[in-house]
Amino acid sequence: MPKVETSQRIPVQQLPTNKVTKWQMIVRDKWLYFLLIPGLIWFIVFRYVPMWGTLIAFQNYSPFLGFWGSEWVGFTHFERLFQNPDFYRILRNTLILALYETLFVFPAPIILALMLNEIRFTAYKRTIQTLVYFPNFLSWVIVASLTYVFFTTSGGIVNVIIERFTGSTIFFLGDPEWFRTMIIGQQIWKNVGFGTIIFLAALANVSKEQYEAAIVDGAGRFRRMWHVTLPAIRHVIVILLILNMGNFLDQGFQQIYLMTNSLNRSVADVFDVYIYFSGITQGAFSHSTAVGLFKGVVGIILILTTRYIAKKLKQETLF
Amino acid sequence: MKKNSLRFFLSLLALILIIGLIGCSSDSSQGTSQNQDTSSNDSSSDSSNDNESQERMSVTIMAPSFSPEGLDSDSPALKAIEDYTNMDINLQLVANANYEDRFNVTLASGDLPHIMVAYKTPSFINAARDGAFWDITDYLDDYENLRQANEIVLNNTSIDGRIYGVYRSRPLGRNAATINTEWLDNLGLDIPTTIDEFYEVLRAFTYDDPNQSGQDDTYGMVVSEWAGPWNTMQVWMGAPNKWGHDENGQLKPDFMFDEYREALRFFKKLYDEGLVNEDFAVMDSGQWFDPIVNGTAGVVVDVADQANRLQNRITENYTEDDIILDVFGAVEGPHGLRNLPTAGYHGVLAISRTSVTTEEELRRVLQFLNDLNDEVPQNLAYNGVEGIHHEVNDGVLDIIAQRDGGTLFDREVRDLNQFQMHVSGDLFLKAPQTALQKRQDEVMEANMDIVVANPAEPLISPTYTERGQQLDNIIDDARIKFIVGQIDEDGLDEAIALWLRSGGEEYIAEINEAYQIAQAAQ
Repeated sequence: MPKVETSQRIPVQQLPTNKVTKWQMIVRDKWLYFLLIPGLIWFIVFRYVPMWGTLIAFQNYSPFLGFWGSEWVGFTHFERLFQNPDFYRILRNTLILALYETLFVFPAPIILALMLNEIRFTAYKRTIQTLVYFPNFLSWVIVASLTYVFFTTSGGIVNVIIERFTGSTIFFLGDPEWFRTMIIGQQIWKNVGFGTIIFLAALANVSKEQYEAAIVDGAGRFRRMWHVTLPAIRHVIVILLILNMGNFLDQGFQQIYLMTNSLNRSVADVFDVYIYFSGITQGAFSHSTAVGLFKGVVGIILILTTRYIAKKLKQETLF
Repeated sequence: MKKNSLRFFLSLLALILIIGLIGCSSDSSQGTSQNQDTSSNDSSSDSSNDNESQERMSVTIMAPSFSPEGLDSDSPALKAIEDYTNMDINLQLVANANYEDRFNVTLASGDLPHIMVAYKTPSFINAARDGAFWDITDYLDDYENLRQANEIVLNNTSIDGRIYGVYRSRPLGRNAATINTEWLDNLGLDIPTTIDEFYEVLRAFTYDDPNQSGQDDTYGMVVSEWAGPWNTMQVWMGAPNKWGHDENGQLKPDFMFDEYREALRFFKKLYDEGLVNEDFAVMDSGQWFDPIVNGTAGVVVDVADQANRLQNRITENYTEDDIILDVFGAVEGPHGLRNLPTAGYHGVLAISRTSVTTEEELRRVLQFLNDLNDEVPQNLAYNGVEGIHHEVNDGVLDIIAQRDGGTLFDREVRDLNQFQMHVSGDLFLKAPQTALQKRQDEVMEANMDIVVANPAEPLISPTYTERGQQLDNIIDDARIKFIVGQIDEDGLDEAIALWLRSGGEEYIAEINEAYQIAQAAQ
């Protein structure tokens, strides 16, 4: 990285418009650019080229007839989507889950990181960190099975305990009221460890002197946390929040799909699952592409809004 | 400077793009060279076809796989089938759980194998209509085995009255219930024959300590989130099989009949009294049979051959004395003994028009499919090669490859039956049957007389093709919600109203119209 900086600075000082120098510059740093190539190829091949396929949202795409043979239908699929009685239910479910995710799942690693940061015993801290990081390596299928084993009303340990205290069981897995709680709970359990690592890394950079100065000023633990620690990691939080917003409507297909059943479908239908059913199982490729495109547009709007707000608040942003 | 660096960046981007394109195009050229390989084989087989087929045609088959690691491509059994049929078989096996997805993705890629196992899904229907597969209706009669295909089943597989593949035959009367007879004996009860007896047995299994443990640790019947058992039992209770005629002779979906509602009330009673596992609506199908195996539930409604598998899980390599399970097809409801049939097939082998381009090639492939129905390939596909995978002593089959965990069988034989059709009957040797397996066969045979046909089975509705999943979800979810008490009878009516609004109205009209046309054609 430092080499890139100097290489860009040198031409500014010397001959800003000399193309030969620029070429020499490239030749000199060729290996750095060479390192860039795999990443760029990845983006072009897997991110930009497939965008071409989005056009089938405006067709009646038939796999056999192919892209060129399929009939163009304009916005028909979008009209159908917005007229579908399921659409508003799905949109509502998606938005509510997304909101809950931002409110509960996103801050969880920050809080955990702050708490871990206060722990003095390194060995204890490390152990906790490893333990909370572990669920990150489990697949959603495993998480869903574990949830069933623990929460089922037929002998699940959680319900056995609840029954002992209250005399009745709670239908965690089938009751629509509990669906979102379960989803959010699973996500926190699975993902909190990973996020914590990022924030702990950011916390490691906060200089001891600031804390010492705060102590001298008579700040207690919470004051120190509020005035020193949080401001120090604010930029990381904002950047991660913006990144998060880009995936606002991505609910993680696997998790929802695995947790859905006949009883909670009314709250569990989200765009990702809808796209899977209509596109992959029913073969309505154009329609599901239209849904995906709609989702993408909402994602862009959200990411730009967050960025705009962050800029207004004089925060560093990504771009 | 800024402008310059932008220009520089753009030129770099262009360079990358070019590299990327070269990369892509070399990829695709590889793909085409592969295609050329197969097509050159095809063309050579064409010429060979002219001079009495000495040269083999290469044929790619896409089929689901049930063995953990898939089939070895140099399996001696596969080689023997290739020799018998004079074909080079190239198998594309896909794990069964992902098969539907992969089928659609393969369709979308446009690079279709010669033969694909296809289920009657909207995407297959659409692809067939768009001409992706050969219409083989008029060819079947030219082939000795294929012409023996069952008319009813052929009709079930048809799309707009045309046949787009040779079906993989399955017993029509396969649905049945498995019951724990040890518990029945303990309680002094017999296998139930009527709905009332069925209820009494489930009640006794739940409350009368059938395993004599002195504890309340059993219940009647285990059901999972898969809705199959409810579908079967509602037919026992007199509901039609998906579609029935109302008093005006119009076709109506099953849930608009009183018998259906009556069946749901019965299910609700079973649930309310704890005769069915409380968490059935959320129970993963993978755990469905565990309560039977570990002796907490006494009845499961699935397919007849499940009994043997379950008995094997209870006592491995069981002997006659170990048998504690029995099978029955149905119990008598208000309309007598009735049972839900299967479609009589499980997917068809469809021939793609992109890989099989000429009628000559089609003839060759059909001949191949026909030959697969002969006794020799059937035996190879189910039992492997004699001496390697199985032995026959005094006419008794012993599949030695299934010993020691059966890895040899998994690696070299198991998936070969996925492109078997046996439309002319099961000709392969079967291992000696246990008393339970004999019972299974009897039940399946007896079921043939009591199965209720679905009059709309072959009919296709554009609305259903487009929105079938959502429509089915509305009704299936309402049924489950009613059973567990989340909604009442008004809720059921609301669900039906929603169903009608969401496209059900059109669906009914389209099915009736298609039915009229089909009737008129006969």
